[in-house]
Amino acid sequence: MANEIKLIAGSGHPELGTLMASRLGTRVASTTHVKYSNQEMSISIGESVRDEDVFILQSTAPGEVNDGLMELMILINACRSASARRITVVLPSFPYSRQDKKDKSRAPISAKLMANMLQVSGCNHVITMDLHASQIQGFFNVPVDNLYAEPSVLRWIQENINLDDCVIVSPDAGGAKRAAAIADRLKINFALIHKERPRPNVVGRMILVGDVQDKVAIIVDDIADTCGTLAKAAATLNEHGASQVYAIVTHGILSGNAIDNINQSCLSGLVVTNIGDKVERCPKLKVIDVSGTLAEAIRRTHNGESVSYLFTNAPL
Amino acid sequence: MVRNIVLLGGNSHPKLTENVCNILGIPPCDRILSKFSGGESRCEIKDSVRGKDVYILQSGSGSVNDNLIELCIMISACKIGSAKRVTAVVPLFPYSRQPDWPYNKAGAPLSKSIDTSSKKDYTFESVPATPRPGGPRSSGLTNGVNGLAEKLSKTNVTDRNGDYFPKRSDTISSLSSNVSGGANPDRALTSQPSFTTHDYEKPTNKNVFQPKPGYKQWVALAGTLVADLLTCAGADHIITMDLHDPQYQGFFDIPVDNLYGKPLIQNYIQRNIPGWRDAVVVSPDAGGAKRATLIRDSLDIDFALIHKERRPIKFNEHRNASMMLVGDVANRICILVDDLIDTGNTITRAAKLLKREGATKVYALVTHGAFSGDAVSRINASALDKIVVTNSVPQEENMRACPKLEVLDISPVFAEAIRRVHHGESISVLFQYS
Repeated sequence: MANEIKLIAGSGHPELGTLMASRLGTRVASTTHVKYSNQEMSISIGESVRDEDVFILQSTAPGEVNDGLMELMILINACRSASARRITVVLPSFPYSRQDKKDKSRAPISAKLMANMLQVSGCNHVITMDLHASQIQGFFNVPVDNLYAEPSVLRWIQENINLDDCVIVSPDAGGAKRAAAIADRLKINFALIHKERPRPNVVGRMILVGDVQDKVAIIVDDIADTCGTLAKAAATLNEHGASQVYAIVTHGILSGNAIDNINQSCLSGLVVTNIGDKVERCPKLKVIDVSGTLAEAIRRTHNGESVSYLFTNAPL
Repeated sequence: MVRNIVLLGGNSHPKLTENVCNILGIPPCDRILSKFSGGESRCEIKDSVRGKDVYILQSGSGSVNDNLIELCIMISACKIGSAKRVTAVVPLFPYSRQPDWPYNKAGAPLSKSIDTSSKKDYTFESVPATPRPGGPRSSGLTNGVNGLAEKLSKTNVTDRNGDYFPKRSDTISSLSSNVSGGANPDRALTSQPSFTTHDYEKPTNKNVFQPKPGYKQWVALAGTLVADLLTCAGADHIITMDLHDPQYQGFFDIPVDNLYGKPLIQNYIQRNIPGWRDAVVVSPDAGGAKRATLIRDSLDIDFALIHKERRPIKFNEHRNASMMLVGDVANRICILVDDLIDTGNTITRAAKLLKREGATKVYALVTHGAFSGDAVSRINASALDKIVVTNSVPQEENMRACPKLEVLDISPVFAEAIRRVHHGESISVLFQYS
């Protein structure tokens, strides 16, 4: 029985855990998550993890990021003290990943803090997806596998959009590389929007670089939070004559009035991965299943196989 | 006026920060502390902390996890901002008390008698069950007196915990029927009433969890983890008050100053309880006996103890969590002393017992008044005549809701401790006056 895959899911996104478990041919280990009236939480793991290869999945729901984090760290610590052989944290959307640099004096580098805290709780390996900045991998002293949703995104575009008059758009300079990679793989054109951001969660002016006249514009980004950027970018593209505007993001956090923003925007569709757990659905929202990539990464990590295959291919 | 010191307050207890700042004669550090719309905490420190001695005040009340992560982020921000030393001032320490739910005090699983009818389900694939108390040592030895006891207890235990344990351990068929999958318990829990740290006293809540058969379930303890997290964020020193377990200090590799609420409580007794010389100090459970005897020693008054019997007792008696009083309280004033009041279950039951034993008046003096759940209404309805807590967590709302509540201000204690730590003076002097 020793050294088998033991998948534990946090309470953030149980459906993703079930999906991954069924792909791995196992089941999610039974755990109880109890929140006491004094708002502290208590966790018990219902089966033995001694000498097992433990994978802990946690996807932090918007609004409860800190609760999700504490739960994750308690889970890690519980597995470590229960003599798990190896503890791998599967954190598809890395929390605090946007606070990755000291952009003002005395601003915290919260992403670094999260990395430290995860290691202190006892994780031996981290699997994540589309890190906002891949440098975050350097914050860890343990191996980090940064998976890409790109293969799944490519497949979605190929299956759902006519590629003849299509252009990939990056909504900011930071995401240019990601968008250009997709445009190259699809052998289509690429455009870029330059934006100014005066305050967090607020977007200023936008300037389009490239030609989108009478084309289907596909905005590619990693995080959609309040969707203010996306709505504005879509409006900018519309002004420049795009026939249709789609947006594809990996991490659909969709906090605040995101759903309203999308519904009122001129986006034809917003495509997100099923990393986030969305309670209120909106008609424009489409979901790509990436549980296959995550499950395959777990299987490969467990068996000591190379994970790099997944960077270019999405498992069926 | 204390120089070169920065006091940074978290969002959990702004009033205490203000009071401590006033006593120290310094302005609180200017900061932005809010949340991004995605729920991530945002922290920016406006004043310089370079080379300063920084004290960060955050209590473990309200939304505990938010406050804890916020505290870690503040500590880390100060560390990155080249602070000379960062001290976390945490009046009520989060996760300092993790309960032993769903196990009883002795740590043994709830006793369960083997259902004889399930013998039919035996298959050759089955793995022998992990031996556990209450189960038969081997299949041939459960006769005689032992067997009688089990048969007698069975009616009671299986009635209450009928669906708590599986029919029989570890056969493949019972396994598959017992698969609960991570998602299901969570969803089931959302419909449950709120849990409290006193849940071992509520047998109904023990039914929700189905551990894998044969596996002794245990509850994760977050104590060491919280200590590690604070150290890892960069805290150099911790100041806290009346830790639930004194051993908690040992979880840290950095100095921890555990302040005591005892002098405040003692003062209150001497000044505000008429006839305190004839009163009895009562500890509501055995764990708090030490705390109560210390007060008894310095005031030289009588002492009594309430012993909580939590073990599920065999046979048909419903004596779960029954209370026994050790000591004499008839026609006397009782002063209950404890460190933390959470749901108020223990203390209100203790008060009821004391009144029944003939106490004329019952006071409760507790350091931390967390008052979660329906604690306030429970106290309002209880036999307690007065309850005194400190403002280690915000008490403004509780004050309005509970006429029996009186609040002692701990800001002078913390201000003095901060001043002394800053100047490198002894803290123990703080506790030597009476």
